[in-house]
Amino acid sequence: MKQKKSILANETFQSIAASVLCIVIGMLIGYIVLLVINAKGANEAITTLIKNYFTFSSKKLILKNLGNTLIKTAPLIMCALSVQFCYKAGLFNIGAAGQYVVGAGASLYAALGWHMPWFVCVLFAMCAGGIYGAIVGFLKAFRNVNEVISGIMLNWIGLYLVNMLLSGVKETTSPYTLDLAKENTSALMPTLGMEKFFSNNTHVTIAIPLAVIIAIVIWVIQKKTVFGYELRATGINKQGARYAGMKENTNIILTLVIGGALAGTGAAFQFLTGYEQWTTTMSSVPAMGFNGIAATFLGGLHPVGTVFASYFIQHITSGGARLDKNIYPSQISDLISGIIIYLCGFVLFFKYAINLRLQARAEKELRLQRQREENASSADAKEEKGGDK
Amino acid sequence: MVLLIQYTLLFASVLMLVALGGCYSEHSGVINLGLEGIMVMGALGGALTLKSFNQAYAAGNVSAFVVVIVTILIAILSGMLYSCLLGFASIQFKADQTLVGTAMNMLAAAMATVIVKTINTSENPNNVSTTVAYIDAKKALNRNIGSFQFSWFMLVAVIALILAYVVLYKTKFGLRLMACGEHPQAADSVGISVNKMRWAGVLISGMFGGLGGIVYITAGVSEWKFEVGVAGFGFLALAVMIFGQWKPHIIALAALLFGFFRALSNVYSGFDFLYALGIPSSFYNMMPYIISLLVLAFTSRNSRAPKAEGIPYDKSSR
Amino acid sequence: MQDVYTIEMLNITKRFPGIVANDNITLRLKKGEIHALLGENGAGKSTLMSVLFGLYQAEEGIIKKDGKEVKITNPNIANDLGIGMVHQHFKLVQCFSVLDNIILGVETTKNGILQKAEARRKVMELSEKYGLKVDPDALVEDITVGMQQRTEILKMLYRDNDILIFDEPTAVLTPSEIDELMQIMKNLAKEGKSILFISHKLNEIMEVADRCSVLRRGKYIGTVDIKDTTKEELSRMMVGRDVQLVVSKGEAKPGETVLSVRDMSVASKLHHNNAVKNVSFDVRRGEIVCIAGIDGNGQTELVYGLSGLEPIVGGSINLCGKDISKASIRSRSTSGMSHIPEDRQKHGLILDYSLAYNLVLQRYFEPKFRNALGFLKEKEINAYANELIDQYDVRSGQGTATIVRSMSGGNQQKAIIAREMDKEHDLLIAVQPTRGLDVGAIEYIHRQLIAQRDAGKAILLVSLELEEVLSVSDRILVMYEGEIVGELDPAKTNREELGLYMSGARREAVKV
Repeated sequence: MKQKKSILANETFQSIAASVLCIVIGMLIGYIVLLVINAKGANEAITTLIKNYFTFSSKKLILKNLGNTLIKTAPLIMCALSVQFCYKAGLFNIGAAGQYVVGAGASLYAALGWHMPWFVCVLFAMCAGGIYGAIVGFLKAFRNVNEVISGIMLNWIGLYLVNMLLSGVKETTSPYTLDLAKENTSALMPTLGMEKFFSNNTHVTIAIPLAVIIAIVIWVIQKKTVFGYELRATGINKQGARYAGMKENTNIILTLVIGGALAGTGAAFQFLTGYEQWTTTMSSVPAMGFNGIAATFLGGLHPVGTVFASYFIQHITSGGARLDKNIYPSQISDLISGIIIYLCGFVLFFKYAINLRLQARAEKELRLQRQREENASSADAKEEKGGDK
Repeated sequence: MVLLIQYTLLFASVLMLVALGGCYSEHSGVINLGLEGIMVMGALGGALTLKSFNQAYAAGNVSAFVVVIVTILIAILSGMLYSCLLGFASIQFKADQTLVGTAMNMLAAAMATVIVKTINTSENPNNVSTTVAYIDAKKALNRNIGSFQFSWFMLVAVIALILAYVVLYKTKFGLRLMACGEHPQAADSVGISVNKMRWAGVLISGMFGGLGGIVYITAGVSEWKFEVGVAGFGFLALAVMIFGQWKPHIIALAALLFGFFRALSNVYSGFDFLYALGIPSSFYNMMPYIISLLVLAFTSRNSRAPKAEGIPYDKSSR
Repeated sequence: MQDVYTIEMLNITKRFPGIVANDNITLRLKKGEIHALLGENGAGKSTLMSVLFGLYQAEEGIIKKDGKEVKITNPNIANDLGIGMVHQHFKLVQCFSVLDNIILGVETTKNGILQKAEARRKVMELSEKYGLKVDPDALVEDITVGMQQRTEILKMLYRDNDILIFDEPTAVLTPSEIDELMQIMKNLAKEGKSILFISHKLNEIMEVADRCSVLRRGKYIGTVDIKDTTKEELSRMMVGRDVQLVVSKGEAKPGETVLSVRDMSVASKLHHNNAVKNVSFDVRRGEIVCIAGIDGNGQTELVYGLSGLEPIVGGSINLCGKDISKASIRSRSTSGMSHIPEDRQKHGLILDYSLAYNLVLQRYFEPKFRNALGFLKEKEINAYANELIDQYDVRSGQGTATIVRSMSGGNQQKAIIAREMDKEHDLLIAVQPTRGLDVGAIEYIHRQLIAQRDAGKAILLVSLELEEVLSVSDRILVMYEGEIVGELDPAKTNREELGLYMSGARREAVKV
């Protein structure tokens, strides 16, 4: 049987087109802002933003800075996966930010307080995030607490807890945690020789390929396993999943445990590279988790899509840092990210509108067809009646 | 001790204003997670206004009254304008309110930083900070009563509280607003425009959010670094609102309680016995959230949250 | 003498895509009368009332108020014309007081402050005058369904409406509350209000109405004076005498009992009473037992109770000798219960999943379709899906990969039927399996049900269609207000008798 299908109806096409559109509009607004700030340098500035490390002339510097962008992409991918994984099961994991925070706390304390090797630290981060996610899950499943609200509360509780915890392993004169490279090199994630490719950027670790692999694993779980089958069914149609005998509460908790573990691991991927230290006086929840939400939606709610979206967001963020600070603020890239995620809010609506229209069109055709059949059959019926009389 | 009371009252004022704002929005049926961002924008508008009054007020060319009123108006206006983003997306386009709120928070922080930096560098090319200073004009906001610094904003908060109580429970507007958040189909069936009421709710929340923003950044300090946003006060206000069960008078009590914890974290080292306990300030900062979470866990089954909040209103479902 | 009509709906035709919901219907409402509007489900009563209340616009026909033509394009205009409606599902704000609900939308204020004293006086006056007892300060969530309904009536009276529409008002009331409502309606009519009373319960219509108009399948059948008619005649007008669908089937050969239900009760989501009250019955192998009844008499909840979607609040369920009263949905399914749900889009399908995935929705966890590592065996799933697609003739655009949302309703239903019938089972529960389908699909489904019966399965069919009930089933149980009020033999009964049971006009004790 052949059926014409509009390209508009293709799910993948819709997602990619929508994301590209959001990016274009976001960049355009960013460009306008640059123009307003300083019209003369705007063209150059927007190119810098897009080119990021390509602005360097030497290949060595390009590779080193590509490495820097990738280092920060890995944790972002993990946070995005956390949000994506939960969203597919119908849960909005705004608590990824907090799960990331406790992951940071656990991994850094294991590394600095107990001098554990890196994989144990990662394990700690994973468990801490998982347990933190489980709290949200329990509250949702058994106490009917909205996961967004409890997530927000736990984000802040996590921040202050971790600040308290890590104050025990901070440098005496600064609010930063101790330097891993000096304190416990075994806790640094291995580079497996990758640093050579990135001009000796020793912060480039296996975290980067791991994040990508995990994204693919998540994709496989969602697409190929019984567990993923149940989770997605619950996300699409909770009532239908219940009808088919799936265990709603268990799945809610399990989803959030996994989501939490992903975000927690993301923190380990960030802090065990030694690229950054935790600031124990931090007064707001790190943006990583929230950026994860942005990457999730920009990635079209697809695990592999989030990898690209995460890279894009990190790319323009790093690009922003290369702007001439005396003319343009580097946060212009945050502004663009913010606009893009705002626009993502409309994507679901427009997708819904397009599909509704396509569906209405299909239904109309079907109805016309049925009506023709009906007319034919009712004509038959009339004849019969006439015969009876 | 006076300092503790002063900070408690100031922080309580902030929390009360913002929570009341959230209250209007939620009663109309829109969850406003963007309060944090709205606060930032209100704070920005207010801070820039104050800054522009710096010289004139120091020279005695304007009265304190004018400074206070104009600052409040600009902060309110900024907040309202910014809240339009929420109204537009979530009412007009039925977008996911959680996503839009989150986006607004991220956007506000970035936007404020960009704006402040741009202004700073245009005044002085070497100034790439995100700091707005309003040292002189800020004096207009306070009046010393003994060692207690009374802020006019405390008065504003009290007025807002009384107003919220009257508006929500005693006026036609309040009745209709709450009907839209509880049962929009019912409101629609008696000829009330649900979308209009929800816009009203969102705009009022923008108003109070913006006001709360300026109150927060003028509490105790005379300059503000916009990089840090408003340090989660928008979310804390959300906690106040939930703890306050969406009712203005309980919100007032919750604001005092949570404001007290926040103040403690700022000034606990001034109290010998608290200092001796050795509890870090983080602990006091954390308390409000823990309390809210516990309250949620034990009351959510029969929560007083507006029933239709977060659900876009679809006319065809009537 | 010329009758005075306050509302005339003349030659109203309202089409929805593919269906004529109202076909040239004329309804005249006299001033001060109680006019019943009688019809089965889907007869077009609600559509007609929605046209009058301004929720829909008719394609043809005009509406006159007091002899003058009016255009009612939205509910506010209806309100201005004095038309008020008590909806089947009340439009009341739960956490508001009764008084606040009544004044909502027409509040009086002074300097912006609500003036409730005057409103309260008026409400109390109205309450006294018509015998509508309410507590104006009680919150709606705390009061009985009866009082909620009185609040809705007061809402109309407070707005000085004089044409009052009651949409199935007794569905949610207890018997004593119904008596009270009947009295209230009579009082209202005596005071000059004109009432449109939508119902399918003959007893109530006979008791309270002056005249009755009957609709059937979107068409106007006629209007009769109640004093000149009988229940039997009304029932006949309502159900008609259509040509029966011919379903060829042999004699049933009932075997052992498969499903045994004793004193089962299920709570209602709409009101405080139980939706299913102490129901007992058996279903044996090789027979089709049909639960007949008018929509909303507890059939949905009965099935929810059986399938585990809702907990039962009393009694027991026994499937193949195993007590499943408290079993999980999954274990009921694996113990041999198949369930074709009432709402195929809400329960029966995951619309955004492929056809293949939907066909294994009840079996994906079996070793046949998953390996030890928890991966789905796509190949097996597809092969199995193709098998079912062939066997049950499920048509779709892209075979097993078709997203179910894009399939026609008939084929969606076929997919569910294929899934539930092919799965290991002893009992098949089919709830309105032919709803919204065309003649071909209906015949197909009936054939399948009979084939299942002949294969020795026990079948419980829930249907609202009398024709289906009479032609497919081997035994009929009639449900009315949550109880089984009669057991009939389809060979010995007819539409009229069935209609009387369904509308509560007749009942008998049923022994199991």
